[in-house]
Amino acid sequence: MPAANHWIVTGNFTDDGAVAWRRADGTWSRAIAEAGLLADEASAKAIAARAVAAEQREICDPYGIEVFAEGTTIDPLTARQRIRANGPTTPIRRPDSGISR
Amino acid sequence: MYQYDDYDRRIIIERAQQFRGQVARRLSGEITEEEFKPLRLQNGLYMQLHAYMLRVAIPYGLLSSKQVRKLAHIARTYDKGYAHLTTRQNIQYNWPRLANVPVILDELASVEMHAVQTSGNCVRNITSDHFAGIARDEIEDPRPYCEILRQWSTFHPEFAHLPRKFKIAVTAAPGEDRAAVRFHDIGLRMVENAQGERGFEVLVGGGLGRTPVIAEVVRDFLPKRHMLSYIESILRVYNLAGRRDNKHKARIKILVTALGVEEFRRRVEEDWEKSRTPALELPDAEVARVSAFFAPPPYENIAADPDRLISLGLGRDRDLGNWVKNNVFPHKVPGYSAVVISVKKPGIPPGDVSDTQLDAIADIADRFSFGHTVVTHTQNLVLPDVKTSELPRLHAELRALDLGEANVGKLTDVITCPGLDYCDLANARSIPLSLEIAERFDRIDYLNDVGDVSIKISGCINACGHHHVGNIGILGIDKRGEEFYQLMLGGSPGNDASIGKILGRALAQNEIVDAVEKVLGRYLEIRDSIDERFLDTVRRVGFDPFKEAVYGSADPLEAAGGD
Amino acid sequence: MQIIRDRKIVEDDFIHVADGAELPESGKPIVTLARFLKERATLLPRYPAVGVRIASDKLPSDVPDLAKLALIAVEFPKFTDGRGYSTGRMLRDRHGFTGELRAVGWVLRDQLFYLERCGFNAFEMKPGKPLESGLEAFKEFTVTYQAAVDDPRPFYRRR
Repeated sequence: MPAANHWIVTGNFTDDGAVAWRRADGTWSRAIAEAGLLADEASAKAIAARAVAAEQREICDPYGIEVFAEGTTIDPLTARQRIRANGPTTPIRRPDSGISR
Repeated sequence: MYQYDDYDRRIIIERAQQFRGQVARRLSGEITEEEFKPLRLQNGLYMQLHAYMLRVAIPYGLLSSKQVRKLAHIARTYDKGYAHLTTRQNIQYNWPRLANVPVILDELASVEMHAVQTSGNCVRNITSDHFAGIARDEIEDPRPYCEILRQWSTFHPEFAHLPRKFKIAVTAAPGEDRAAVRFHDIGLRMVENAQGERGFEVLVGGGLGRTPVIAEVVRDFLPKRHMLSYIESILRVYNLAGRRDNKHKARIKILVTALGVEEFRRRVEEDWEKSRTPALELPDAEVARVSAFFAPPPYENIAADPDRLISLGLGRDRDLGNWVKNNVFPHKVPGYSAVVISVKKPGIPPGDVSDTQLDAIADIADRFSFGHTVVTHTQNLVLPDVKTSELPRLHAELRALDLGEANVGKLTDVITCPGLDYCDLANARSIPLSLEIAERFDRIDYLNDVGDVSIKISGCINACGHHHVGNIGILGIDKRGEEFYQLMLGGSPGNDASIGKILGRALAQNEIVDAVEKVLGRYLEIRDSIDERFLDTVRRVGFDPFKEAVYGSADPLEAAGGD
Repeated sequence: MQIIRDRKIVEDDFIHVADGAELPESGKPIVTLARFLKERATLLPRYPAVGVRIASDKLPSDVPDLAKLALIAVEFPKFTDGRGYSTGRMLRDRHGFTGELRAVGWVLRDQLFYLERCGFNAFEMKPGKPLESGLEAFKEFTVTYQAAVDDPRPFYRRR
């Protein structure tokens, strides 16, 4: 298990609850690889707190997590965050988005 | 089953309308997530790891085929083609979009269903015996009382913001408790007193979770007409005195334990003397009105033929024979049987049913069981009223739908919470363990040899998978971000209620199913006869032989082939 | 300040008085229970109407001279603290309190329906929330199941 070397900010989209990762430009992505890297916990906390105040319509309950980032990949360090990033590890009926809208 | 009148219908339609407004206010930004959360939770809408989750109430587990078809339609139209049966006789959708939830509620309301109070700190769905109404050993059908409780609890103004969630279960079968009433905040057991009057033994303060407790008897005999006023007094004492400073100590069991059952009873009785009014008494006419909806279906007059089941069980078709032995249960009407459809098949997450399966089950219920289906707290389905002579035909149809597993009450009939694959509260995954167990022990002769044993898996201390009352319980824990599991033995939810105890140190994910196999291997070696159930062996010999089997060898792989 | 009283938006004619603060020359003060317990002998004759504000952990039996009070304000420190619902119901049903029963603190639109059924007739909404939206909440349900302050008959005596 590599050691943490960065922080990123995550939450869930209000519209469909999907996992959201905050990009460096302040927009929100559905792919962890696009998350904006932060140097430390304090920066992550500050950004999450600002998002709670200003972006709560779009994003629910943002918070910071530690990650290991190298090249173009960002790896979460806990089972929970790995599953959040990659989806359920067990079979689902229609793993594609599959929802009539 | 119960049919809404205009009164019931209006409340549910107005509720869907109200929630539509709440969602609109959230989407417009008028209310924040912090403010919306308690509102959506009162309506069964959670935020899980990857999406929202909507929990739909199935009062006492009972569904009409029309409702089952609607659940299929919702799964297909607004979700990913499946629904998940829960351990409280409810159903969950794992992928709804927020804006679609009011539409789903409208769809549900059109078949007299809802998601009212399926989460939040309020009175939750009322659960009962999944064989209610057909069990040979019941005093009376408990479902009319469940329905009266459902109505009473719906938007109760005084008890919508309790210290914590509140679960009520009702049973009327003294011989076998299939509703786990001793593990509910309130358990009602119908009993008869010396004068032959029927009433309830009132149990309070049971529960699982962080602090498992077996409920205590607060009243030996409560006449049925006082059911609601007495429950109100219990809830009032709890609402005022239950702890609100720590959510882990907020359930009523903690209050009952802290006060002692004597003092708790004194407070309830004191409040009851002050608050009960003649108007609160349940009139016979209302019980009769509701009971009429649960009148028996038009059974045919069939001569009793007890040999029929035995011959089916021993017939040349071994699949059918095993299924009849394991999945078919006695019915109070001669010539009929209750069938449990196993929703536990290798490769499929336990309790997940697809839209096509749901549609097919609705058709089967219409043709074989007067249109009724019941969800069990073990995440299976019951067809309550099947003609015994039709069992072979039914079995063939179920098998074609991948619903013919003959494992009810056996090793692979595992209760599993959603765990860390879905749940925001979980510490570890549950479903993969369950799938591994299903795969590993998918041999009917082994299942039959091991006999009745329950495995229950929870991905965290909240115990949705009821691990404390599994003969074998598995609890997921988090060790510095990695998944580990505790193995527990000796739990039972029924009349012989007991809470399982931890066997030893927590095990890694790749060790836990091996450990289960070793425990079972040891049981097969030391049981005193093939009639001694696993639980009885554990109670007789204690933990040492099982500890030795699991932890005795330095190399867990070497000891794996124990059986 | 505006409040909702008897399903109407009105100007509040009571004045909240903090514990250390000086009492008003005239008008209708609302004091804390602690202050009321100390000063009730002088408070009650001095003003035309006196209100008492109670924390969510207080019971109706903790408040003396109930019959002489014009108002009781029950605090809701947060949305999830539901003790005040039982307090309201007991004040009305058991203690026969007929004055204004006011919910203060964390009071949002979606609590009003329940609060009114438990005997509350006045509401100080959480700051920043539109009172008009609150008025809508009373109309969301036209039928109920339980006996409560607004109707002592449970559903089975009303159908």
